[in-house]
Amino acid sequence: MKQMTCALALLAATAATPVLAEDINITVWAGGSNDSDHYRIDNIKIAADILSREAAIRGEELNITVEGKRDFDGWDGFKQAVTLGAEAGNAPNIVVTSHLDIAPWASAGYIVPVEDYIDLDAWPLNNVYSNLMEIAAYDGMQWGVPQDAESRPFFFWKETMEKLGYSAADIDAMAARVQAGEYTLRDMLADAKKAVDMGLVEEGYGFYPRVSNGPDYAQFYQSFGGELMDPDTGKLVLDRTAMTEMYQFFVDAVEAGVTRKNHIGTDWDQWYSEVANGKAAFWHGGTWHYGRYTGKEGNEDFFGTIGFTLIPAGNEAGRANTVTHPLVYLVTDQEEDRAEEIAAQLVSIASEPRLNTLHAIASSHLAIGKAEAALDLYAGDRWASEATEVLLPHANAQPNHPSYGAFSEAMFKGLEAAWSGVQTPEEAVAEIEAQMSATLGDELIIR
Amino acid sequence: MNRQTLLGWSFLSPALMAVVMFFLLPVILTVVFAFTNMSTSTGILGGEYQISESDLRRLPAAGVSNESVEMLAGAGYAVRPETLALFASDFGDERADELDALHGGAVFDDRRAIERALKDLRRDPIRSVRDRKAAAEMFRISILGQRYPTEAAFADAIADIGVPDADRAALTEAAYTGWTFTTQNFELLWELPATWRYAMNSVVYVVLTLAFNVSFGLFLAFSTFYLPTRTAQTFRAIWFLPRILPPVLYVLMWQWLTWDQGFISTILRPFGIEPINWMRHTATHAWTFIVLINGCVGASLGMILFSSSLRAIPETQLYAAQVDGANRWQQVRFVLLPQMRWPILFITSYQTLSLLTSFEYILLATDGGPGRQTEVWALAAYHTALSNYGGNLEYGLGAAYALALVIIGILLSALYLRFFNFRELVAKPRIEQ
Repeated sequence: MKQMTCALALLAATAATPVLAEDINITVWAGGSNDSDHYRIDNIKIAADILSREAAIRGEELNITVEGKRDFDGWDGFKQAVTLGAEAGNAPNIVVTSHLDIAPWASAGYIVPVEDYIDLDAWPLNNVYSNLMEIAAYDGMQWGVPQDAESRPFFFWKETMEKLGYSAADIDAMAARVQAGEYTLRDMLADAKKAVDMGLVEEGYGFYPRVSNGPDYAQFYQSFGGELMDPDTGKLVLDRTAMTEMYQFFVDAVEAGVTRKNHIGTDWDQWYSEVANGKAAFWHGGTWHYGRYTGKEGNEDFFGTIGFTLIPAGNEAGRANTVTHPLVYLVTDQEEDRAEEIAAQLVSIASEPRLNTLHAIASSHLAIGKAEAALDLYAGDRWASEATEVLLPHANAQPNHPSYGAFSEAMFKGLEAAWSGVQTPEEAVAEIEAQMSATLGDELIIR
Repeated sequence: MNRQTLLGWSFLSPALMAVVMFFLLPVILTVVFAFTNMSTSTGILGGEYQISESDLRRLPAAGVSNESVEMLAGAGYAVRPETLALFASDFGDERADELDALHGGAVFDDRRAIERALKDLRRDPIRSVRDRKAAAEMFRISILGQRYPTEAAFADAIADIGVPDADRAALTEAAYTGWTFTTQNFELLWELPATWRYAMNSVVYVVLTLAFNVSFGLFLAFSTFYLPTRTAQTFRAIWFLPRILPPVLYVLMWQWLTWDQGFISTILRPFGIEPINWMRHTATHAWTFIVLINGCVGASLGMILFSSSLRAIPETQLYAAQVDGANRWQQVRFVLLPQMRWPILFITSYQTLSLLTSFEYILLATDGGPGRQTEVWALAAYHTALSNYGGNLEYGLGAAYALALVIIGILLSALYLRFFNFRELVAKPRIEQ
């Protein structure tokens, strides 16, 4: 009897649990994200729901709990949290971060390539723009998946341009003229000076650049013919002529009275409210600024008041350009391979055009894939469509190189020194050359 | 050990533990880190072994022969009899035969390419992505991009692909992804032109702020000394505010004061003075405000200490001075100040040491600007080790910066102890001898 009961119990147990329920906790940390970026985390939650349903159809029980966190103390705080977490063995499963983190984090072993777990040739990843996929690749491996795309346009205030004598047709043709290299940074400087002289804008508001270091300044280096990385050797490039001319451009802007000498470090809130309301003639920013200008800053007629183009070329050697600095989904190294696999699958599902469009439109970013343009939500958004068309085809990214951070910091320090008049452009370039060759060594080509 | 000694130690132990945890350990770690090339890329807790594509061009410089480099650089995946046999054992002979017929002898650069080849199987396709990935791995013939957790595993891997013995040591060294000991941080500090500027900035910062701190602290102490007690306390409380305010809030108030649309600019505009950013206009402006911001915090400590030591001076001496016809200034100069030697020295030395390592108010106020002219040594250490837009934090170099401060701090402390004549300070009062 006892044996019977045992056997029955065993049988019942086996029958009742045809599959083992699998519980997986996935944490997502998103750096540099504010309220409008909540889909960086929410899309992973939606993906988890889809993945669980797919598993259920296959007869498996997969319970995924997604926890998100995006309130970090700036980028520095976020990066410290991720790296120290990874060292301590409790890194979040998925991080949303700058593509520039791929090189150092891959080398340190904090992240695993997503290509280990997902098919890059299958939907939805085969829909992602290949140049964006490349930005999330490093050393021949696909480490991450682009989370969003953006680009950094040059803006101008249309009313000021009209008063400078540009007709409506001229203003409409600006984007094309800049792209063709007919309207350069030097032309812009002359216009900005005229605007200041005519009293259309206050002194220092002719050209009103970004107030802190960022990918934006690499654009001006490219405008003057600079190249960030040598495509053949993969080494970083310091082009002395281009760098000197770029520094000189900002020095000239200060001397002409169109840009303030102590502009760097201006408060961001002040900056946003000024550019969104026509206090500056020319400035540059990012595609996501659209949301801020039309939202918090209260510009109700964006397209009627603000025009945008690529960053104009600076001279013959340079080209009109824009840098895209997409954030990427990365999967971190975990003890359990299964957690990495689920994380990678979630990232893949979150890249579905519909899901990514939610993020793109909610946060004024651009699409990561071709199919998004066909979705009503995306196509119906004038800013997303126009910006995609004018900017994205010409966008390049900063190189994924472990020492790019040192390069970028040095470039900006030199710019700041020349801009604020501490050093001449030549002195500043000489100093960053010394600094870069000491810190980068063989990884740098000096031209 | 008798009971009294034990009791003494047990009373001391919390302090000792604190000294070990919060002083000795950080100092030792700083020393160790300063002699490494530790960065985000190398990780903190050690590394693994890996040769990646970008490593290949660095290898000749690391002493690896070109022959070995070429061996490593070859294609990643190949459909060969031996890899096919491996594949057949897991995925069946039928699939292996079909693949051999389709792609026998082919080589593929990356995994994506071999996965595409595997998708060509028609008779019995490998349907799951995970299985296809596993299958692709069986055709791998290169070690590029592979991570090996131990040196032994890496040694086996390079032996397998036939790297000559002579190159193995150099290759292993180059493949290590973790940090190694080096003195290059100090060479770099010595070479970099910015180092000297940061050092000079620190000197300017410490000297100016200290002078302000001590003299203003003294001024506050003396000026409140002659006030009625209650009024004096109110004034002291007000001057103590900068110290108890959260630094972020405190500096924000200074920012409001100095913006080009801020308080100072607005006040001065009717007088025909163009609005400028008073904190960042030039280096002189920046230094002035940094000294004021730090000085107002530091002065309050001096004020409290000086006030209490002033009150310790017997009032009778002041009455005597008054009887002799001394005015307030003469009382301060000839009666009070001479007796303030120790507190002044103490505040001076204490503040020197704390100013040397403090940077939070500069970080919040100017972040070293304009043009890095207010970047002090401690701020440079912070920027190097903990703040980098590009993501690669240089812990080793940052620690080397910090180590210089530790050494200067210890030397100065020793000097001060000697200068103070510490033994005399703690000696029994003569009257008790």
